[in-house]
Amino acid sequence: MKQLLYLLIFTFLGFGAVAQNPSFSPSSFTAEDEVTITIDVTGTGMAGVADAYLWIFSNPGLSGGADGITNGNWTNSSESAKLTPAGPNKFTYKFTGTTMFGQTPAQLKSFGFLLKKKDGSAQTPDYKPYFFDPLIFVPSLARVFPAKVDVDDVVSVNFDQQYAVTVNDQRMAPSTFTITMYDDLGNTVGSSLTQPLRKTDITIWSGSFIPNVSFTPAAGRKLLKFAYKFNGTILDINGLPTAVSSADTEVTFTTMK
Amino acid sequence: MKHINKIAIVMMLATIVFVSCKPDSIEDMGGKRDLLQSINGTWKLTKATQVDEDASKKGFPYQQLDITSLFPYTSFSLTLNVTSGAPTTFTTNPGTSPKIVKLSSGNWTVDNVTNPKNLYLVNGAATDTITLGGYPVGASTSLKLIKEKRDKTTGKLLISYSYEFAKQ
Repeated sequence: MKQLLYLLIFTFLGFGAVAQNPSFSPSSFTAEDEVTITIDVTGTGMAGVADAYLWIFSNPGLSGGADGITNGNWTNSSESAKLTPAGPNKFTYKFTGTTMFGQTPAQLKSFGFLLKKKDGSAQTPDYKPYFFDPLIFVPSLARVFPAKVDVDDVVSVNFDQQYAVTVNDQRMAPSTFTITMYDDLGNTVGSSLTQPLRKTDITIWSGSFIPNVSFTPAAGRKLLKFAYKFNGTILDINGLPTAVSSADTEVTFTTMK
Repeated sequence: MKHINKIAIVMMLATIVFVSCKPDSIEDMGGKRDLLQSINGTWKLTKATQVDEDASKKGFPYQQLDITSLFPYTSFSLTLNVTSGAPTTFTTNPGTSPKIVKLSSGNWTVDNVTNPKNLYLVNGAATDTITLGGYPVGASTSLKLIKEKRDKTTGKLLISYSYEFAKQ
């Protein structure tokens, strides 16, 4: 009986965990592409409601944010913000970033949103941040090549020190990179991978790995994303080397065929 | 009556001239090449290049990377057998190389026997499609194969891998 109970619990946990929520179609999109959000509000303050309204905002946590033009007022959402029901507790909404926020692709980095009742008396938590694919190249300290990767690709992580903005990153003598892999449940997969970097340009250090060669997910799970950081040393006031690491940068895999 | 006969003869001649006119097919210069036969044999990988097709399309920097020495790609070899002018079987020997072809053996076909562009490696229900990037004919002695990877949802080309092989 106990075994049957465990079986049922794990079966239901498994079913609940597989779907990504919210999901986007297409999975990657620029600020000029039309994207459809599908969201399941089960377990939120919006569970069981018939009508849901989108409250959307750009660049959460960054400068240059704007509210969606469809938002309306918090206590009286605009009808153009109403989502389309797509089954019990499920809603969809279609929008294009540049139109929704009245901003240029260069200004739009990411967006966040929540679902609410028209009068604002109930809402989901914030869902954020979700990044637009860039239409212009934005140089950065941490960069992945290619920009979109699947689990069986050669993935190269790059540390470009000329774009460092913190003292440690600016002073670091990079030597290794560390990869932490996550599965579709958000659990870490195996141990973190630390490998040496190679210097590929005056200010650039690079390291490469193949995700599904270095990491094997548990049975029934798949690799979803990874975080990477760069490690090295700086000299302290006595001239002795001290270990430092850059901040983690996260990359979600793109499913390819 | 004589006048009508003349018109009829002229029209008949004109019809014969028009019917016998047809465009010449553009043939290769020099001797006829058997492109399929040129692929026949065992090929050892000599160079692997990864291309960020999306970055190339947008004109971004960092568009391609030579990955030959990053992983032991040069231990990979591919055998393509051709019998009586038709593709037959293939085998891959990855050695310690990353997998560049999913299948280890089977049959292969092409989209066009005379001017092949796509190779289809088949084993049961599984098919791996590879594009020919260059024939090993004339001044070129290397076989170039390209593997494309597209977004599963949109079909947009995101990455390609270009592999160069030398005949063993």
